[in-house]
Amino acid sequence: MFHCKVLLCIAILSLISSSLGTVCSNPQIEAKTYTTQDGTVITNVAFVARFSLKCDNGARELPLYAEINGKTFPVVISGKEHYQVSWVEDVKTAKSGSHDVNLFDEEGYAQLRKAIRNNEDVSAVKPLSQIQVPHPGTYQGPWLNSEFLAVVLSLIVWYSAFSTKSKLLS
Amino acid sequence: MSAKNKSVFTKEEELLLQDFSRNVSTKSSALFYGNAFIVSAIPIWLFWRIHMIDVYSSIISFIIVTLASTYLVAFAYKNTKFVLKHKIAVKREEAIAREVSRKLSEDKKMSRKEKDERILWKKNEVSDYEATTFSIFYNNSLFLALVIFISFYVLKTFSPALNYVLSIGIAGSILALLSTGTK
Repeated sequence: MFHCKVLLCIAILSLISSSLGTVCSNPQIEAKTYTTQDGTVITNVAFVARFSLKCDNGARELPLYAEINGKTFPVVISGKEHYQVSWVEDVKTAKSGSHDVNLFDEEGYAQLRKAIRNNEDVSAVKPLSQIQVPHPGTYQGPWLNSEFLAVVLSLIVWYSAFSTKSKLLS
Repeated sequence: MSAKNKSVFTKEEELLLQDFSRNVSTKSSALFYGNAFIVSAIPIWLFWRIHMIDVYSSIISFIIVTLASTYLVAFAYKNTKFVLKHKIAVKREEAIAREVSRKLSEDKKMSRKEKDERILWKKNEVSDYEATTFSIFYNNSLFLALVIFISFYVLKTFSPALNYVLSIGIAGSILALLSTGTK
């Protein structure tokens, strides 16, 4: 009877340790990113990062979380080694350049939540890894739009006609 | 001016009168109306391809507005031409006189009066031609500038169909109004 209890305890402990053991050691990330670049017909810029994560200890399908500019997002698992995170920003506030995505595992995410809750420095929590999503900027139409150019050109032609007319009438 | 009165004038007087007359010859009238029609019809393309107006439902307004604007633009052409013609005649007088007398200098038989008449006739022709073409150029440039400005900036928020009628109407009216000024 006692023997059985010990075995049960070992089984439960091993279950707990295996669930806690979803820690990725030496993560290697390969990311492909996409951002919206044509801002003429949209109101929000989408950022998508799809990445593969390889761990030395062979951990797979880890629940991950992403932190971007102080906001947290869940990371979606797509496939065995692939993950995806996406978010949107307003066209006006979406800055061009590199956007840092900090990835956290469950443990790191708990620490991050705690840091946010206690108003502590978020950057002190060390992320599992980091991805850079480059955004070349959103195209919001040409600097000089065609109707403005058309008006300016037609006014130049009219002005030349007007000055010639004033010369003839003088 | 009645035909009876007209016959009283000499040929020279008639030419002088032509210099100041508001009457337009059939040839230049055709030129005016032809040009005015083309210029009035051009904005249809702008509204069709750029403002995305519904062509089939707007055909009637295209016809009416184009005809009205043809009349207004031709009216402006005529007025501008009248204002310009005499001024141009005065400006070009000397050069024309010099050129015509040089050409006629070999002809000793020609009387002084006939030479003067030739000069007057040439001056009339040159100033008429210059005033006609310049009036067309000036009014076209002003009309198209007004249409582009009004349709893209002033009536930007209006529906294309209303924008078309109003922008062509306003541009044509402003053109006709401005042409009635003497300066």
